[in-house]
Amino acid sequence: MNKIKGLQVLILSLLVVMVVTACGGNGGGKDTNASDSGNGAGNASASGKAVKITLLNSKGEIQTQLEDAAKAFHEDNPNITLEIQAVPTGGSPFERASALYASGNPPTMIMLDTGDVEKFKDRILDLSGEKWMADTVANATDLTTFDGKNYAFPLAIEGYGFIYNKAVVDKAAGGSFDPSTITTTSALENLFKQIEASGKKALVISPMDWSLGAHYLPLAYAGQSKDPAEVNKFLDSLKAGTADLANNKVFNGLMDTFDVMMRYNLDQKSPLSGAYERGPEVLGKGEVGIWFMGNWAWPQISGFDTANGQYGFLPVPISNNPDDYGNQEISAAVSKRIVIDKEKSTPEQQEAAKKFLNWIVYEAKGQDFLVNKASIIPAFKNITLPAADPLGKSIQAYMAKGKTEPSMSTLPADHWSKVGASMQKYLAQKSDRATLAKEIEDYWKSVK
Amino acid sequence: MIAEKGVWNRLRTRLLFTGPTLFAFLTVMIVPFVYGIYLTFTNWDGIATSHTLVGFQNYGEVFRDRDFWQSFALTLKYVLFSVVLINAIAFALAYALTKGMRGQSLFRAGFFVPNLVGGIVLGFIWQFIFSKVLVYFGTKADIPLLSYSWLTDPDKAFWSLVIVTVWQYAGYMMVIFVAGLMNVPNDILEAASIDGARGWMRMRKMTLPLMVPSFIVTIFLSLQRCFMVYDVNLSLTNGGPFKSTEFVSMHVYEKAFLSRDYGVGQAEAFVLFLLVAAVTLLQVYFSKKLEVEA
Repeated sequence: MNKIKGLQVLILSLLVVMVVTACGGNGGGKDTNASDSGNGAGNASASGKAVKITLLNSKGEIQTQLEDAAKAFHEDNPNITLEIQAVPTGGSPFERASALYASGNPPTMIMLDTGDVEKFKDRILDLSGEKWMADTVANATDLTTFDGKNYAFPLAIEGYGFIYNKAVVDKAAGGSFDPSTITTTSALENLFKQIEASGKKALVISPMDWSLGAHYLPLAYAGQSKDPAEVNKFLDSLKAGTADLANNKVFNGLMDTFDVMMRYNLDQKSPLSGAYERGPEVLGKGEVGIWFMGNWAWPQISGFDTANGQYGFLPVPISNNPDDYGNQEISAAVSKRIVIDKEKSTPEQQEAAKKFLNWIVYEAKGQDFLVNKASIIPAFKNITLPAADPLGKSIQAYMAKGKTEPSMSTLPADHWSKVGASMQKYLAQKSDRATLAKEIEDYWKSVK
Repeated sequence: MIAEKGVWNRLRTRLLFTGPTLFAFLTVMIVPFVYGIYLTFTNWDGIATSHTLVGFQNYGEVFRDRDFWQSFALTLKYVLFSVVLINAIAFALAYALTKGMRGQSLFRAGFFVPNLVGGIVLGFIWQFIFSKVLVYFGTKADIPLLSYSWLTDPDKAFWSLVIVTVWQYAGYMMVIFVAGLMNVPNDILEAASIDGARGWMRMRKMTLPLMVPSFIVTIFLSLQRCFMVYDVNLSLTNGGPFKSTEFVSMHVYEKAFLSRDYGVGQAEAFVLFLLVAAVTLLQVYFSKKLEVEA
């Protein structure tokens, strides 16, 4: 009996030790993180301890480029190790970030969409005092500034519209194609006809809900007026249920264009079957002349490129009057923001994260990563490198002419999913325009 | 050891054995569950550092949320077809594979394998089959039914989900049925044969009544799993086309994390829990009554 008792005590104490150490390992993790990860940096400079920081990346298409940048940054700052985490495909950065916060293990830096920043403002660092604040392009931080404090780093300017493959449209136009001639719906339809006459298909509509719900349809909101205050007023009237979408000129004009697109769609027989990957393939190979997407698609298009890198953007026309707002403008805005966690990150980690942001803006290697490797249009005036890819160049050209329309970047979080589903239904011809307008109005009424 | 004297001594002995499990159960099941119920009375959005109590408002919201009840009805339909098909096919497989044919262990293992593949991976595999492989053969062989992806049509996408679920679980339930069938005493079956009962009669009057315990288990398992399905739903159709195959778990998730209405999402999850618990308990209660002694 005594023997058994002794064994009992032994097992019990072992168990206790196991439990205690397991808990301790978790709780103390964040403190020890900074010190025990430094092995890689054997000759860490005297300036500080080795620090490990993480970045949650929500631009899946630049994951490898970011990893390379993290390596380059580590070479410049041997005591800082940067690890890039990825948001799972199809997931939103908000979902992932809030899940990580809920588990008490948030990354040091999070790449968020513009509209999400406000939700996190109690948990992230005020970046108003950073050096790069003075070098941002106009209005870049307006949407992430609350009570006079800016909470986010503007990473990229992104724009979208109809991407054309110059080789295909040149052939269709019989000579050199002039993009500035496409300013009306009928001119666009004419171009589609010419492309079909030349033996190719006119365009492919990628049916993802985010493309239709977050990019295409919001043109109807942004196109209401040049004055952002008027656009906001329109959104308020939608929320209040007083807007009449079915009789709205811009909405109907935009959907008229969509009807034309549907008639010339490569995937007309099964409009919902295409995935994102199909778009860059058929456009790059020249099977179609036009694809509705944004400049972020360049890395994928370049993999199939047969037009010798000659691509550009066309605006999405919303009427037959070339002077209407939106007919000559490309939708563009600062789209991805990096924020720094202040809740679980140590001061050293926060400093390291700030250093990384400065490295992107001011160091040659950082700028090279941003512009040349990741094909991002920077939101900083001091970066003078020209866009490396044709799509970025095209957006920059529209920006230089002042022909941009601010994209809707602070729509409610589930807008793309809910309205995107309604748009897919319309695309599959399972609903008509009156139903679509009603579904969109109903959605807005349900928004809190 | 249970006979040890004193409350403390007895408690200590029991804690030694149940303590670790109890600890894990409390921390990963009970505490989150209770905390979750607490959150249903708040207006938390999933990320804010503060929230206020709003009483039963979220529950009112649940009963007004038409999409929730629509996806619940769709889930019911899915559960009905899946559970029936899973059990019918699993039983047929088990019956065939206990006849003593050559290589039956190999077949058993083969049918069981899909269950070892995670739902997410499985969904992606079948997505490829439905949207690429079948379409390829459909267009080559000119079969209209297969010439475009099933996943783009609301009805066919629903049936795709049923097919994949049945394929995933039939093998697992088959294993349970195999064990059950091996326990049906041979002497009873022989006696029945001598009395003149043949194939179908023997199956209906002898084997099936003795298999009731297995059916209770398999129906319970398949009911509960189908109600809670999320992974296959996510990776195969992602609720599409246009939200027509969004099952109730996915709706709850999207409410909480996409629409950022954590309180309402959590309340919907709780309502779902009550409904599923009621259905499965009723099933177990009523099928217990069908059990017979050999």
